[in-house]
Amino acid sequence: MNSDISALMDGELFEDEVDEVLDKLKKNKPFQQDWQTYHLIGDALRQPDHVGKDISAAFRERLQAEPVVFAPRRKMTQRVRYFALSAAASVMALSLVAWLSLQVGVERKPQIAVIQQPNEVRPASFASPNGINEYLMAHQEYSPSTDVHGAASFIHTVSQK
Amino acid sequence: MGDREVDQQLVERAQSGDKHAFELLVAKYQRRLGRLISRFVRDASEAEDVTQDAFIKAYRALPAFRGDSAFYTWLYRIGINTAKNHLLAMGRHAPTSTHFDAEEAEDFEDASLLHEVATPENELMSKQVVAVVNSSLQQLPDDLRMALTLREIEGLSYEEIAAVMNCPIGTVRSRIFRARDAVAANLRPLLGTNDNQRW
Repeated sequence: MNSDISALMDGELFEDEVDEVLDKLKKNKPFQQDWQTYHLIGDALRQPDHVGKDISAAFRERLQAEPVVFAPRRKMTQRVRYFALSAAASVMALSLVAWLSLQVGVERKPQIAVIQQPNEVRPASFASPNGINEYLMAHQEYSPSTDVHGAASFIHTVSQK
Repeated sequence: MGDREVDQQLVERAQSGDKHAFELLVAKYQRRLGRLISRFVRDASEAEDVTQDAFIKAYRALPAFRGDSAFYTWLYRIGINTAKNHLLAMGRHAPTSTHFDAEEAEDFEDASLLHEVATPENELMSKQVVAVVNSSLQQLPDDLRMALTLREIEGLSYEEIAAVMNCPIGTVRSRIFRARDAVAANLRPLLGTNDNQRW
């Protein structure tokens, strides 16, 4: 374990090892003392002119009097951020496609309703100039507003009744 | 995972309510921050209090730390501001020669400009610790001494040390740990095992 503490303070552990070592460090006081002593050795080698007094014990008392801080985890790791962004983009693209298809469906319905309204047919049978019914019947199949060409004569027959 | 990432892990733990994680950061940076603050606040006892104040301020400000900069850079800024505010509160001014950036502060070596006024007791303990560390280092086998020196003084990574010493990274890791453990064993009698006796 001490060799893990040594590697941890040098930033030489793998990501998945760090959590485990930090958990052990949290629970074990001798490990915490080793962490402090190893850092003291480094400080004494790097800055022998200022080793300074160990404030850990005094600071711990002050820290215990402080309310516990809780901060929302705002900083995502790069990997999580990329995943979240690509997932959001995919969801947005799917939503757009779904919305567009719904809009097309909604537009078709009134079109069919308008075409099949009896009122639209009524002036033809109502005003009924001479020969116009026969003419319309004969050319119904060529009308661009008719979706189902094969049923043209049937529609005409119904409207005549 | 590098040094900065380890700090970030400790910060995130502290941000989620783990005070022990923040204590580990204090143990890591207390002397470096203390050294910086002593360039503003010359009295050793005052500097110690200001160092603690700076850590408390950093702890309270943790929810605002987003990890955009390294933790130590952020901490040093808090340390400098705390020291300056302390001097203002005492009716003193921060020396103009300390107008340097927090990132440069760690490497600021001109101790003659602002020399800490240490208490005789602290100075003695400081000298004893340095003496024990140095003598322990000299007693180590060459490969252990070189590995620890390259790491702590030169700041090389394990990979770089492995290249210099022409050995596997695992060996470097083992040598550095064994060197630290040997020096720590000689330091323990001086430091004491009781927290209250530690200095």
